[in-house]
Amino acid sequence: MRVARSRGLHGWRGFAFVVPYLIVLVAFGILPVLYAVKLAFTTDGGGWAGFRNFTHSAGDYRFMSALGHVLVFTSVWLSLLIVFVVTLALLLHGRASRSSAAYRFLYYIPGALAGAASVLVWLFMLDPSVSPGSFFVHHVLGAHLFVESIAPGKLPLIFAMIAFWTGAGGWVVVMYGALNTIPQELEDAARIDGAGPLTLALRIKLPLIRKWIAYMVILSFATGTQLFVEPQLVNQASLGMVPDTWSSNQLAYQLAFRYADFNSAAAISVDLLAIGLLGAVVIISRTGLFKVES
Amino acid sequence: MKQRRLWPAVVVTALAFVSACGGSSGSGSAKDGITVWVDAARLPAAQAYAKAHPDKKVHVVTFDGDGNGATTLQTKIQLWNRSGKGWPDVIFSEQANDPVWMAKAPFDFAAPLEKLIPENVRSQWPQTSTAQCTVGGKQVCLQDNLAQVVLWVNKKQMEAFGYTVPTTWQDWAALGEKVAKEHPGYIVGNIGDSFSHWIYLWGNQCPLQQLEGDKVKIDPTDDHCTRAAALFDPLIKNGTLPPLSVFTPDFAKKYGGAQDKVLLMPGPSWYAQAVFDQALHVPAGEMTAANPLQWGSESPVTTGQVGGGPWIISKHSKNSAAAADFVTWVTTVFNPTGKDARPGYPAYAPLAEKWLQALASNPYFAADPTPALKTAADQVWAGWNLVTYPDQPVWSDKVVTKMVAGDSLSSLLPTLGSALGDAAKAAGYSVVGN
Repeated sequence: MRVARSRGLHGWRGFAFVVPYLIVLVAFGILPVLYAVKLAFTTDGGGWAGFRNFTHSAGDYRFMSALGHVLVFTSVWLSLLIVFVVTLALLLHGRASRSSAAYRFLYYIPGALAGAASVLVWLFMLDPSVSPGSFFVHHVLGAHLFVESIAPGKLPLIFAMIAFWTGAGGWVVVMYGALNTIPQELEDAARIDGAGPLTLALRIKLPLIRKWIAYMVILSFATGTQLFVEPQLVNQASLGMVPDTWSSNQLAYQLAFRYADFNSAAAISVDLLAIGLLGAVVIISRTGLFKVES
Repeated sequence: MKQRRLWPAVVVTALAFVSACGGSSGSGSAKDGITVWVDAARLPAAQAYAKAHPDKKVHVVTFDGDGNGATTLQTKIQLWNRSGKGWPDVIFSEQANDPVWMAKAPFDFAAPLEKLIPENVRSQWPQTSTAQCTVGGKQVCLQDNLAQVVLWVNKKQMEAFGYTVPTTWQDWAALGEKVAKEHPGYIVGNIGDSFSHWIYLWGNQCPLQQLEGDKVKIDPTDDHCTRAAALFDPLIKNGTLPPLSVFTPDFAKKYGGAQDKVLLMPGPSWYAQAVFDQALHVPAGEMTAANPLQWGSESPVTTGQVGGGPWIISKHSKNSAAAADFVTWVTTVFNPTGKDARPGYPAYAPLAEKWLQALASNPYFAADPTPALKTAADQVWAGWNLVTYPDQPVWSDKVVTKMVAGDSLSSLLPTLGSALGDAAKAAGYSVVGN
């Protein structure tokens, strides 16, 4: 009886801490989603539209190319993210704690810049005439002019690079935190059994942080398919050399605000939501993310 | 029971949150004054109005000007329309075609000017300018400045090389070939701006946006388009007509300042200040303007146009008389001299006269540019209409990026035509001649 009561009290205290977040989540997350779903299935006048908004937006001449761009970008970016974040976190975890803390801080710095500001930094990085990395721009991207740096074929790679630079640091820190939850005894036991740093990383640590990796992939997959800031800013900075409907989210934005077609825009948003949810379901079922081991 | 205990906390937090959000109320249209939205270049005009009228309340808001195909104003107007409040009384836009959609549903923002500004004032704008501001038979804007295209000439360099200023496109192209051989690195123009087709194709009567009722004619196979492209292609290839934008650091570094490699450049009236002086830093005493280029011996001579931003008064203004007074003042009275002079050729004819007088004696120019500017003002080709969709991003994306990669303009015309057709159809036009 006493135990039950104290557990209930704990639960309430925990809940109270979550309340401010819940309010924001409802106001800026759940309600807009419901509103978008409503818009997507209704007409401009508020009547039932069935799937008309979906077929109309999918029939737009920019829809398939935008979707194609986003899928290429997401696959490039996710591969970069998984390989480099996990490798860096494992390397950091294997190092002495002092130097590892300094590196963790270094990786995290770009992520501390607000999203749009960090993209602006890249506008300078990609312009060979002002870039501190002009050597890299010349020899890796083969560009002597800003217009060449942002040539259509290079864009998925460019955007993936920007997104990786701005977001990966935070994930390295998260993965490092995950690695710290591995009991020291386990590592010691492995060492006694003759495991070197590589075996330790691949056979012990990697399987144990699998769920964190899955978590990163789910969130990043959704973020990737909803790409907006990078192409939008590059579009404006290049005075239109990059189309303003490069990504699906940009197309939704254009439909809503240039053509005043909020319903088709909402349909694209719901498409993206569905893609994100589908991705999450697949990853969760494959990795057993929510399975509680008894 | 447990759940109920939590509710007070939730409600209190929620109330605090809601009241925090409601704390800031939008200013919008003030009852006893006006709110005007201007770009950075028009800010001095708005400030000067406020200074000259201390009895009137003017709330000035600066924004990006909606240039380069931005959707700032579309976004804002729809949000104001949805919330039913917040509209400014007056907007200046850098996008010459903004009044076209502003006067139509679902935006319905622009007020007809017939009752707000007297006919004897409005009739002082050139006919082509008024036509551009007329949507569905009603005039809904006043152009701030004209942006007629002339041929800008670096008199000092041309004389140093012993070249004569061309008067036809053919002579200009022949000079381009000559420059490529005799003085490689120098240029006779540039074709990589988002608006370069307004300079090179509009002026040459290529029908890429010609309104016929609700239909738009887009015909890149027209002889006017193909022959112009064929004339430009060798120059794009030999480097005297680079597909670069004048507003990029690359361009200034290669052709501006100490390099001083711009020999000729077809461009709008505002290039003198904004491009040659401020962006490229061409020294004083070098530049002047020549008449727009003629195609062979064909007449009349026509030219293109880039810009000519409009002033628009809101339909929702509670103080439209004050708004009209503001627009009239900034377009017909505001004319500072010297360093603060208006950057563009005033659209209001009587003011243009005064502005030209001051310009004629401006020491920046190597010779008086005003005769050419005046001639060009009446030569803007009327067969290129403003439409609700942005054509400039299409040109940048489909043509400029490909020309940078080495494709010829001639080979890109069909792509441009079909992409413009798609944009027109998406905006609700029916397309002919494509």
